[in-house]
Amino acid sequence: MSESTQSAADPIATPGELTDRERAALEALLFRLADDEFVLAERYTEWQIYAPTLEADLALANVAQDEFGHARLWYDLLCELGYSEAELVWERPPEAWHHSTLVERPFPEGDWADVIVRSYLYDTAERIRLAALEDSAYLPLADRIRKVQQEERYHREHTETWLERLTVGEGRDRVAAAVDRLFPHALSLFAPGPRRADIEALGLRTEPIAEQRRSWLDTVVSVLESLDVSVPEPADASPSEAIGRNGCHTDAWDELHDAFTRTYHELGGPDPVSLRAGGGGRGR
Amino acid sequence: MIWEVFRQEEPGAYHTHCGNVHAPDRELALAFAQVQHARRMNANSLWVVPRAEIGEVDAETAAFGGTTDKAYRWAMTYTDVDASFAEEVEASEREQAETADAPEAHR
Repeated sequence: MSESTQSAADPIATPGELTDRERAALEALLFRLADDEFVLAERYTEWQIYAPTLEADLALANVAQDEFGHARLWYDLLCELGYSEAELVWERPPEAWHHSTLVERPFPEGDWADVIVRSYLYDTAERIRLAALEDSAYLPLADRIRKVQQEERYHREHTETWLERLTVGEGRDRVAAAVDRLFPHALSLFAPGPRRADIEALGLRTEPIAEQRRSWLDTVVSVLESLDVSVPEPADASPSEAIGRNGCHTDAWDELHDAFTRTYHELGGPDPVSLRAGGGGRGR
Repeated sequence: MIWEVFRQEEPGAYHTHCGNVHAPDRELALAFAQVQHARRMNANSLWVVPRAEIGEVDAETAAFGGTTDKAYRWAMTYTDVDASFAEEVEASEREQAETADAPEAHR
């Protein structure tokens, strides 16, 4: 793919080959990926039966299912590193989640423009960051990228199609408001975590996150402006200390975390049913 | 606006009507049709067609195939071939074999 800025690192084929340093960096990278997908999907499902039309409902549910599936791919890799599903999802305290604050924000009631802007900002970032993992030194990660990218194409087409239509006429004000509201949170998609330097130096990711941020900005700013929607200056829109990536979240997160872990705790921490024998699911 | 959806399961097969989607335009109809009519089924290709563009004639307004007895269309008697037709069968098979050997001569 793109020219790597790092000299090619030795490929790592199995968890057993990881040094401690590589392992810590890999875990940080996987948690970012998995948590983003899981929490976004969790939010998307709130639209079930509330989307503007039946078709829109099914399409978004389909996207949510895909994102849950992608979260599963990344959590499975963490399972291979020794985590249990309960540790990864059901029993992990809210401050140990490292998703971007973009994905945890609640939807203003009935605001379809919010979900479209959010998924546009997210899916564009997703394409860029997955491309930077296609040649990851950790082969089990690199192997899974193509399958995810194929599903992501539908997500982008779906959301871009909607975006074009919502920016004609009165919908544009809603889109503009959603961009103002969500853009600072979207910037946290590219907020570096404490292992950034290692993730890049060890070749787990082949494009520095700062460059990803730049190419994401190039794309979303030009697309949104072409639709006559202005985008805040990134420098003025810098998020608060709650950037998600550091475990510090907006107040909406505690509520959401409580909502999706409540049943698990009410049932006294059951062993979740695994649909796949062996647990190492590789998607459909 | 309703778009009728036709799914082709594999290259070369017919596109078969499989349902419809509500969508304001073709692009969204294609996006929705993918989810509703191809996600869980084999699909090689989908068509979406505005319902209004589909012409229809039905059995209430047309007598499909006419109303008189046209039983001769159904070559039912050929199912009654038994040993007493051995000679005819042999002649027919010979003729077919000759045709296959020398197709030009029969043009």
